[in-house]
Amino acid sequence: MNMYRNKKIAVFFMLPAVIFVVLFIYYPIIQNFFYSLFRWNSFSPDRVFVGLDYYRRLFKDPVFYIALKNNALYAFISIIVQVGLGLVLAAILEEKAFRKYQTFFRTTFFLPAVISITVVGLLWQLIYNPNIGLLNAALKAIGLENLTRAWLGDSKTAMLSVIATSQWQYTGYIMILFLIAIQKIPEELYESAMLDGANAFSKFFYITVPQVADTIVVSMIITMIGGFKVFDEVYVMTAGGPGRSTEVLASYLYRSGFRNDEMGYAATIATIIFAITFVTTLIQLKASKANKEE
Amino acid sequence: MNKIKKSVVLMILLALTLILFTACGSDDKASGSGDGVVELKFLHKWPQPEYSVYFDDMIKKFEAENENIKIKVEAVGDEPIKDKLRILMGTDTQPDIFFTWSGEFATKFVKSGNSLDLTDALNKNPQWKNSIMEAGLEPFTYEGKNYGIPLRINGKFFVYNTEMFEKYNLEKPKTWDEFLVVLETLKSNGITPIGFGNIFPWAGSHYLTGLNQKFVPQEVRMKDYNPKTGEFTDPGYVKALEYFKELNDKGYFNSGVNSTEHNMASEMFYGEQVAMVYVELEEFSEMEEGLPGKWDFFAMPEITEGKGNKNYLTGAPDGFMISGKTKHPEEAIKFLEFLTNMENSLELVEVTGWPSPIIGAVSLDNSSEYLVEGMNAIAQAEGMALWLDTDIHIKISDVYLPNLQELLNGTKTPEQIMKEVQDMALEVQKEAE
Amino acid sequence: MKDRSLGSQILFLITFLMLTIFAIMIIYPILWMLISGFKTNKELFLNTWALPEKFIWGNYKQAWDIGIGRYFLNSILVTTVSITLTIIFSSCCAFALSRFEFKGQKIFLLLIIGGLMLSPQVSLISLYKLLQKLKIYNTYWALIIPYTAFQIPFTTFLIRSYMVTLPREIEDSAYIDGCTSWKVFWYIILPMSKPILAAASLLSAISVWNEFMFALVFIEDSKLRTIPVGLMNLRSTLSTDWTILLAGLTISALPMIILFIIFQKQFIRGITSGGVKG
Repeated sequence: MNMYRNKKIAVFFMLPAVIFVVLFIYYPIIQNFFYSLFRWNSFSPDRVFVGLDYYRRLFKDPVFYIALKNNALYAFISIIVQVGLGLVLAAILEEKAFRKYQTFFRTTFFLPAVISITVVGLLWQLIYNPNIGLLNAALKAIGLENLTRAWLGDSKTAMLSVIATSQWQYTGYIMILFLIAIQKIPEELYESAMLDGANAFSKFFYITVPQVADTIVVSMIITMIGGFKVFDEVYVMTAGGPGRSTEVLASYLYRSGFRNDEMGYAATIATIIFAITFVTTLIQLKASKANKEE
Repeated sequence: MNKIKKSVVLMILLALTLILFTACGSDDKASGSGDGVVELKFLHKWPQPEYSVYFDDMIKKFEAENENIKIKVEAVGDEPIKDKLRILMGTDTQPDIFFTWSGEFATKFVKSGNSLDLTDALNKNPQWKNSIMEAGLEPFTYEGKNYGIPLRINGKFFVYNTEMFEKYNLEKPKTWDEFLVVLETLKSNGITPIGFGNIFPWAGSHYLTGLNQKFVPQEVRMKDYNPKTGEFTDPGYVKALEYFKELNDKGYFNSGVNSTEHNMASEMFYGEQVAMVYVELEEFSEMEEGLPGKWDFFAMPEITEGKGNKNYLTGAPDGFMISGKTKHPEEAIKFLEFLTNMENSLELVEVTGWPSPIIGAVSLDNSSEYLVEGMNAIAQAEGMALWLDTDIHIKISDVYLPNLQELLNGTKTPEQIMKEVQDMALEVQKEAE
Repeated sequence: MKDRSLGSQILFLITFLMLTIFAIMIIYPILWMLISGFKTNKELFLNTWALPEKFIWGNYKQAWDIGIGRYFLNSILVTTVSITLTIIFSSCCAFALSRFEFKGQKIFLLLIIGGLMLSPQVSLISLYKLLQKLKIYNTYWALIIPYTAFQIPFTTFLIRSYMVTLPREIEDSAYIDGCTSWKVFWYIILPMSKPILAAASLLSAISVWNEFMFALVFIEDSKLRTIPVGLMNLRSTLSTDWTILLAGLTISALPMIILFIIFQKQFIRGITSGGVKG
């Protein structure tokens, strides 16, 4: 089509989106790197050039490593639970025997994903509360009294408790992605497998999993990146505490910039978040391409 | 059907855009001071309706008396305001009058030119200046100049359940040893001695405020709290942490202190689940409401081996500063004068039950004997140990405070914590130069 | 053969039981939130499990009056405008990327989709400064514009992958009839893309409605706050009135839950036809 070769019109169509993306996504990232080279705070005009000092300091900062470890844990558990469990749940719900209950379970499992994180965080903060919370009450009710604890107040359990909340909220979301992918698998594949006498498990491993490989990669990217940019849950539920045990990169960024008056250091942490999320995405995309080409 | 849906959607959209533009429009109008009306932005930290009502009333009254001044009020809670102030200070929407704690927290705004020098204003109006307790003004001074006007002056005290104390023949402890006996007696009788909520570690820092003051010689502590000279090498700091930790290790606090809120601890006290809470003067009226007639208080007991001044009290004033960038300094000062005059201070005490630093505002006429007694204790004290979290550099505070939670969880030792504090103090020193 | 069906029946039962337990784990906390919102503080303290003795509607009213009402309208406003802008810009862009052929097309595609890899956290500080320079800090636009920008990559990606699959015969004849590309876009492509537009709007709406960090830093005026940040404010306002807080949480969660339950068919059908895969 000749019309479709008119570059001017094409650019005209793309212009608003491109301007928004460039001005409000790309430009701030470059600006951010620039900001990380100075010592400054939000309310003072003084700006001292420090070069790469903050980067040097960051790599010696124990809190940075705590945060990094927590993010990695977040990403790891999210991939296992959300992608793993999400896929299994989706496969089960697509089984013939479960089809008629699918709507109910699908709706239920997805429900938490539409609730705002602040609501979920504040709700779970109350559930974890050692005095009035549901969780300890439930444990007592089933005779597991010795498991009760101050979930968010104990450095050993705080991070896992926050992560668990996130799984509660998002497993259903990932599950929906898989449901859609599974529905696209041609029915004949399963039918011929049935003829070969395959059971549910082998059907899952030999047909479903390879057929939804793309979705697995996509959802792994989503959850992985999600794990490295988590902020809301931590800010709402623990604010990084007790001690620094639930500090993540984004909460450390916020704390450095807006509480400790070190905007430059905050920008440095932001650069690191950028590097990590960018590189992991690239690696995962490369891996998925390699997978396809095989 | 479809058409109806479409038109409904379209109408909602239209209505919303309209709201959007009118909302933005009205904002613009408000900030422009066209017809000689001056608008002041006022930021305080009490969104709770029972307190904010006082400020709303004051503003109404003030606006009625000064028709050319409009006050736009904003309230942000205790914890969020610590960030919010900093975020706001960096913008054009800086409030003209803003809440601040005293000590280093306030000094930071002074040093960066964000706070207006009020020395002249105070000197021009000696009646105003002399009506304010010196202990309230002094912590807002920097290099001999006044920068803040106190709204409240707080002391920190242990409040206890008198029935429980009587039942086990306990008396107000004078020394730390007596205190430990009291705690042990309560505990052995199955009562949790102290309710303590440290989910936000400022609560723990209030214990440390007192303990540090009692253990460390005054001059050493002042040198350490100054960002330019801080070292924190005195062994007293470690001792203070050890004493604090002991309270928790011996089971004198409720369980799960690090996930309990301070308010929850008070709640436990009202419910008589705990025998004591460590609270500020401003909370005395709440105590009376929660456990009427069944409580009394004492200051943190003396520590014999401590090297600090024995006649000091833990507590600090907090209040307001005026932005260094304000376009209407006179009007802003006028409002602060208004807020802290005798009449309105009496009303402050009346409505909120807070300890006003205006001499004579707190009296038996309008407050409980406990509050008056507490105010007397402040007046008689030789000096105040300001809240640790706002009296030291924010970066040191940010190492110190979260570590108090680690201390209570047993994940870090007092020595480890002080080492981290010392390291940060050195870094801060270097940057201060 | 019979044994097998018995075995599979047991397997079915166990699986079904597990699904039910999952479902309870999800529904119960939400239900607890709803019910506890009717209790007094003391009841919540002493008897977490029980139903309230008397349903206190006042909690809900109080939560609404204290601020949830205002936050709510703000959230609706910000979400609607952001989504409208996002969908308009993204579908235009997707149209160009899926139909036109020109040099540098790949670069544009990468530029837009590459935005997916960049997280908003990284831009927090720069945007805080940038929005001030643009004089829109502390206005609705301070949220709408960044939200739109950060939604565009995902929605464009979604819409484009749908448009690519649309048959071209109709537009071809339209062009022969002398239609401009704008008319083709508006009268042919957009109507055909409705399902994916709906899905993209819903997905974006969820993330915009829930966004917290930008809303925390870019808005200072309590009159402009959206629900996520407003709730944090409510929490410090209410201090120990947990039941009112729970009522507030319920009010904020309910509309999205209801909306989802009503529109879930469209929603899931939308994604199905679009396909989130790459």
